Amino acid sequence: MRPVSLVAASLFCPAGIGDGGTGAALPGPVPGFAPHAHGVPRKHLKTMTRAVQLGVAAVYAALEDWPTWRTVPPDRRGLYVGASPQQGDAEDIAPALDATGVPFTLGGFAERGVPLIPPLWLVKGLSNNILGYASAQFDFQGDNGNWCDGRLGGAIALTNAIHAIAEGRVDLAVAGGADALVGAEAILGAPCGEGAAFLVLVAGDVGKTRVRAGLPTVDGGETGLGELGAASVPVALARHWLGGLMEVRAGGVHLFRP
Amino acid sequence: MRNVVLTAVGLRCAAGSVPVLPDRSWGRPDPDAAALGVPLVARVEGVPEHPDFPDDRKGALAFAAAADAMVGAPMGGRRGVWLGTGLSSLTPDELVRDLYPHLRDGRFDRASLARDLDPSHPAPRRHVPERVTQVIASEYGASIAETSFSACAAAAMSIAEAARAVARDEVDFALAGGHDAMIHPIGLLSFVVLGALSSSVGRPFDRRRDGFLIGEGAAVFRLEAEEDARARGAPILARWLGAGTSVDAHNVTAPHPEGHGAALAMARALRDAGLTAADIDYVNAHGTGTPVGDRAESLAIRKVLGDVPVSSFKGAVGHTVAAAGAVELALCLAAFREGVLPGTVGLEEPDPECPANVLVANVARRPRVILSNSFGFGGQNCALVIGAP
Repeated sequence: MRPVSLVAASLFCPAGIGDGGTGAALPGPVPGFAPHAHGVPRKHLKTMTRAVQLGVAAVYAALEDWPTWRTVPPDRRGLYVGASPQQGDAEDIAPALDATGVPFTLGGFAERGVPLIPPLWLVKGLSNNILGYASAQFDFQGDNGNWCDGRLGGAIALTNAIHAIAEGRVDLAVAGGADALVGAEAILGAPCGEGAAFLVLVAGDVGKTRVRAGLPTVDGGETGLGELGAASVPVALARHWLGGLMEVRAGGVHLFRP
Repeated sequence: MRNVVLTAVGLRCAAGSVPVLPDRSWGRPDPDAAALGVPLVARVEGVPEHPDFPDDRKGALAFAAAADAMVGAPMGGRRGVWLGTGLSSLTPDELVRDLYPHLRDGRFDRASLARDLDPSHPAPRRHVPERVTQVIASEYGASIAETSFSACAAAAMSIAEAARAVARDEVDFALAGGHDAMIHPIGLLSFVVLGALSSSVGRPFDRRRDGFLIGEGAAVFRLEAEEDARARGAPILARWLGAGTSVDAHNVTAPHPEGHGAALAMARALRDAGLTAADIDYVNAHGTGTPVGDRAESLAIRKVLGDVPVSSFKGAVGHTVAAAGAVELALCLAAFREGVLPGTVGLEEPDPECPANVLVANVARRPRVILSNSFGFGGQNCALVIGAP
């Protein structure tokens, strides 16, 4: 098994972005988040939900923090993501329902409504859109995975990424999660926030922080920033690490100084 | 790392619940589908609703398959559940009940929509994709529950992760597979607006192919360490040999035209299994029947595996979307047992633009090693390799 090192991390959370996100804040949106200013191509914005924009921006920011990633061959770069299903924008089907009229009939919907639905409506709702867009943008062709397990999703992404490097499937892994749950308070029964964080992990003894994986768990993913879904554990780890802590256990991930 | 074997399987697909090689298309007319211009669907018959998952066929299918996979399972031990799943969609009733009242001049009134959301209603629970994995894990005492959401590669990805966990000795046995059920109006609609469904029958690799036959289903395998299974005298259905994943890194909605990512996944699976192209006796292709996808995959197969016999089950049981990697791996077990390389149901005129050695009809030859492909929207690719018991 190869050693695994943590060399960079990105952070977008209700407390802020990057080093500015390590303090306390009320649940809510990420302040100052402007997707195109954070590396998300304008041409894709219409087909990305807010969580996908946050996720792609967080992958971009993590890689910007460790420019050496470009020296790793594309097929040795792995991307591991925790994310929820992206609810396609309800507005995308509103014109179709309106045109169908009342009473709703499937035939009427097919005849008058369907032509008004954007072709990429399904695609916009997929949970693996962060992985799809980010892999294309940064040319990640290696081992990968996308997990949709609520708060656990980001922890699973991180632990599997560590295994993938340790077992030699990739040499570089970007792993974390993103979620945007503001507006879901009525469903989840809790204050909600939005966030994304990705860690850059590499094979070997590099820098000051090593990483080991246990079984994924939600323990240690509490941030006090509201329900962050799949971003919970990655955001918690990124806040600790960017805040200067070198010995951290969260989500089944153990960061330590050798 | 421990050797891993497949010791049980639960299957629900249009062709039934017993892994046998399908010899015809299970596509049938359906009134809801017809209203949307979809001529045929491959529906699973006789799946009872599960009390925890009212109106959710995905959950019911998964539970039925998981229960079969648990027959003969060892008592106790560390257990994990890895399942791939797909999108849950609104039913037409939910559209009318939950969305129509909030339409104002062709747009939704978001304030009234948010006010009316009722957390006690079963619909929000049904739309939580990991819930099926969690409930199955709870029912069978599993301490690990992971849900892969990797579009049409989800089930294959789950099986690969489960096999690695067994090999690493993280669990004594794993339940792994996938489930999906998109044969409902809004699910069908998703593919209709993409233009992905066939206007007639599913014809993988055929010159006249124009999209896929939509199916539904679930398959769940039990994976154990070989030494444990042999010590118990458990039946071994197949040996786990390896897996490879990749991303196209090309386009979220379209495969790489030359199948670059698909080729990477297959090459990695070979390496992971410690095999060469000459060791592969048969390839179960993703083979959906879309013009671009089949060509790209066949180029990739030719490049990595040469003249190996290839076929697709999707003309028979349909494309079971997130479940496909598991449902089709279950059918591959029949190829081992029956000593037959399956032909491609629906294929009549092989497309010369698809250069792989695609089988039209069954060939009586017992495979020793099978590679099974699954590729998903977003560019995720996964190839699994299993060996005869």
